[in-house]
Amino acid sequence: MEDIAVSVKNVSKKFRIPINGKKETLQERFVNPFHKTKYVEFHALNNLSFDVKKNEFFSVIGPNGAGKSTLLKIVSGIYIPDSGKVVVNGTLVPFLELGVGFNPELTARENVYLNGTILGLTKKEVDEYIDEIFKFAELTEFVNLPVKNFSSGMAVRLAFSIAIKVKSDILVLDEVLAVGDGEFQKKCFNYFDSIVGKKTILFVSHGLGAVKKYSDRVLWLKEDKTYEIGDPSEMVDKYSKTF
Amino acid sequence: MKQNDIDLYKQLVKTIFKMRYKGSILGFLWVLLKPFFMFLILFVIFSATAGAAGGLTSKQYAVYLLSGLIIYTFFNEGFTWGMNSIMDRADLILKINFKRNIVVISALTMALINFIINFCIIGAIGVVLDINYSLNGLLYVLLICIVMFLGMYGISFFTSIWRVYVRDLTHISELVLQLLFYASAVFFPIEMVPENYRFIVSYNPLAVFIQAVRNALIYGQIIHLKFVLASLVVSVILVFVGRAYFEKHILKVAEHF
Repeated sequence: MEDIAVSVKNVSKKFRIPINGKKETLQERFVNPFHKTKYVEFHALNNLSFDVKKNEFFSVIGPNGAGKSTLLKIVSGIYIPDSGKVVVNGTLVPFLELGVGFNPELTARENVYLNGTILGLTKKEVDEYIDEIFKFAELTEFVNLPVKNFSSGMAVRLAFSIAIKVKSDILVLDEVLAVGDGEFQKKCFNYFDSIVGKKTILFVSHGLGAVKKYSDRVLWLKEDKTYEIGDPSEMVDKYSKTF
Repeated sequence: MKQNDIDLYKQLVKTIFKMRYKGSILGFLWVLLKPFFMFLILFVIFSATAGAAGGLTSKQYAVYLLSGLIIYTFFNEGFTWGMNSIMDRADLILKINFKRNIVVISALTMALINFIINFCIIGAIGVVLDINYSLNGLLYVLLICIVMFLGMYGISFFTSIWRVYVRDLTHISELVLQLLFYASAVFFPIEMVPENYRFIVSYNPLAVFIQAVRNALIYGQIIHLKFVLASLVVSVILVFVGRAYFEKHILKVAEHF
């Protein structure tokens, strides 16, 4: 069991989606006290099981609505599954989005502290890394500028540079491999080349090229809630034939 | 408690603090100016009638009114911010797996910081007006604040979850807090309330706390000690029960934002 980083067993998740809009205010409930809200059930995941081995690069592909993001949120402990079990061995940091908690009014430096601690760094660690972070992001001269004055590319470069300083055994990535312009993307890929095989990575992407290149194994989630796990090029080829 | 949790807590408090007054010219002074003008208006209108009815000199009435306003504001802010805390940070909660209750405690910490600043002001004003504070009185005020803080923290564990499901809670709490302002005898003595209705004030915990703080500050008396101690016990229980409730429900809340 030690070489398993993430174990997902028989996980199912359904969402109840109200048809005529949800009755969220009391007025709506008073006006129509006997009118029961009707729900459609949407099965995001159905009886899904797989293991991710330690230091494996495990990718998840599939069409929109197949449950990829739901899966990442369940593994990250943001949603709980309706049934089934998820066991995570080691520290896990989700990157479902870069720059979570970034506040446009605050300066870049303040945002590094905020975002860094949100991602699990201590203040001391941020103190230690902050120069490297700005150097990697190539934003050294903008340390005290509010992030609202950044271009979106600059903001995401800063966010990426913080993210790679975060200490975790398991990375959960939703489409966040490479950001910024061509040159910066090269740096991002260099970084991933350096950690592949050293960290467990659970990766969701529509970028099939990167999936093929990096993955050890690929999970293909299909629209009908069945799934296949297998060799990257085989899975990507099969998936590509569906469209 | 991990070091990161503590650092995250500090960062969140700092951010709320910076954001609240960012861009305004007077900035942080607004924390002081708002209650001050409220105080000024009520003082000018009521010091003669209400003060006299309670047998207070106008100096005593100033401290009487200020302490009422400040305790009420503490409750108002702690209750409201605690209730909104989870909803307000939905962006973080949907993306990162940090300890959720850090968000609740940082909202309450903001209310506490405002309260401490306001309280120092009453202290200073009281000294200027020759009110002699007693050490016992001040310690008693401290105890009441701890009780209130714990109580609001415990309540927030419930309300912050409910707030996500029932959006009306914002409006309901605004209304209730407004009524509570009058039902807590903030600016008039209890004697002015007609006897048939006096029970509203006597059984209202906030009114009791305000009375206790006033007596402690103005006369150095300790009143309602039993009630305050009982509230302490209830508050501690609320924190524990609330926390268990919160931990159980917080994971289900994420899909309802």
